[in-house]
Amino acid sequence: MSFKRLAIAFSVSVFVVYAGLILSLFYFYQGTLFVTTLFSERTLFSLRLSLTAATIATAISVFFAVPSAYALSRYQFFGRQVIDTLLELPMIVSPVALGAMILIFFNTPPGQLLQDRGIPFVFSIYGIILAQFVTTVGIAIRLIKASMDEIPRRYEEVAKTLGASPPKAFLTVVLPLSRRGIITSAVLTWAKAVGEFGATITVAGSMAMKTETLPIAIFMRLASADIEGTAVLVLILIGIGLGILYGVRLLARTRSYV
Amino acid sequence: MPLIELKRVSKYVLRDVDLTIKDKEILVLVGPNGAGKSTVLNVIAGLVDYEGETYFDGKNMDRIPTHKRGVGYLFQDLALFPHLTVEDNIAYGLKVQGYKDAVIKRRVAELLNALHIGKLKGRYPANLSGGEKQRVALARAIASFQKILLLDEPTASLDAQTAKYLRTELCGLLRQLEITAIFVTHDLLGAEEVADRIAIIHKGQIEQVSSPQDILFQPKTDTVYEFIGMPNILNCDGCHVLSSGLVEVTSGDMRMVLPYEGDVIRKIAIAPHDIYLSDTKPPGPALNRYTGRVSEIISLRTVVRVRVQIGRNSLMAEMPKEAFDEMNLGVGDEAFVIVKLRRLRYFQT
Repeated sequence: MSFKRLAIAFSVSVFVVYAGLILSLFYFYQGTLFVTTLFSERTLFSLRLSLTAATIATAISVFFAVPSAYALSRYQFFGRQVIDTLLELPMIVSPVALGAMILIFFNTPPGQLLQDRGIPFVFSIYGIILAQFVTTVGIAIRLIKASMDEIPRRYEEVAKTLGASPPKAFLTVVLPLSRRGIITSAVLTWAKAVGEFGATITVAGSMAMKTETLPIAIFMRLASADIEGTAVLVLILIGIGLGILYGVRLLARTRSYV
Repeated sequence: MPLIELKRVSKYVLRDVDLTIKDKEILVLVGPNGAGKSTVLNVIAGLVDYEGETYFDGKNMDRIPTHKRGVGYLFQDLALFPHLTVEDNIAYGLKVQGYKDAVIKRRVAELLNALHIGKLKGRYPANLSGGEKQRVALARAIASFQKILLLDEPTASLDAQTAKYLRTELCGLLRQLEITAIFVTHDLLGAEEVADRIAIIHKGQIEQVSSPQDILFQPKTDTVYEFIGMPNILNCDGCHVLSSGLVEVTSGDMRMVLPYEGDVIRKIAIAPHDIYLSDTKPPGPALNRYTGRVSEIISLRTVVRVRVQIGRNSLMAEMPKEAFDEMNLGVGDEAFVIVKLRRLRYFQT
């Protein structure tokens, strides 16, 4: 077997694994059940909750990630290395552990104060948003920083010699040039937030029609041995995920400046 | 009144540099790679922190950030904004400084016209040639009416002919707009074409700041003399105009007929690599060809320097080792000399 064929065989085998998993869902697929499950009040609530929470969490993540990524990409400051390493936290700690850490925080005096006098995070949609934010913001910063690292600093120097203050140079040069990286990061953050389960269930619980996101709904169906219902919800989640990735591919084809 | 003054500036390789650039002057900063040329520009633009002081028109600029210094900067890599069209690149400085739309439009049109790039205004930098990018970058650098322009080897990436053309055009434009400019280059020949004065910088020290002629004919240090190519200097005894644009010059036993528009030439500089040697008499007319005797041969790693005595004049020629090896020349031998006329430089006052 030639090297080329061997390499292709590996990629096909990975495809077979994933395609096989997706196809196996159709073994339990029932057309009428799909329609009734999809349009049931509980599923629609989960879907709406998932999309709303993920969108808000993504917006907050990107809002924090853009300036943070710029600082890490451009400036040398005390603690930079520590911050850079801590960004990996969501990747090295499992989502459940992250959720547990959030819960533990809300059992400390400052956490309790925030919970009582500020926003009630535990067992609420705010908790879902917080859990999704914590699990995604590190990755969002990583992705945006990577795209900002590729923009030569010279452009900002030129902008400054032309009379642009540092914030203006950032807004008129760095931001447009890292636009694609920011959009890609936002889309992937959103997809990850939609699929987030471990931290969400730990912080917000699994109350139907209150904190039941789509992944939690899948878990609840499976826990009650409703395989057909589970298959339907998984198909919905896959539909959303693949739709997003397709969108990213389309974006990747747009103009690249750097 | 001097427009730009550097006093005891130190940064990276620069050590206590003092430099004054006069109002509306084009100063060319020449030196080998790593001499600190770009650092001088970055200090003036405020792009780096430094020790020492800088003044513009007598005003201390040390605490003034880059965007408030009003200094145009044409970088070697040009760095045109890739996400903006030619028109938007040129308008960038005017926009961020809050000029009115009508002013921006008029100024951009004026520059597109002056630099002959009107047809390119809707294009993105990725679709421009090297020379076109150069013009756009220049237009952008001077668009917001800057009175100081820093140019960091802006013609380095172009072929020799385009570079020469652009340098000349650039120089004319700078004088027309009365812009004070500091032009950095490692190419002395290019420097002479545009400079009011030349500053030679070496290992972070300014070795000499003089007119192009003084640099060539009165180098103050060995470093400058070496950097300008250790030219042979001939003192002229007599000079008379043969016809318009042609003069005959006598220097000892040598008679030279040169293309020259003036009437008096006092000194002539000939770079060693512009002197051809031959061990046999070359064919053709005897004009500007001389016969002398080899008095010294210095063999270096890749080149050989041969000193030839022609009457009272002693000329040093330089050639590649292989070219010398092909000839059969030794000390005391007769050698035939041809001077490459096009590269001669004159001193008339």
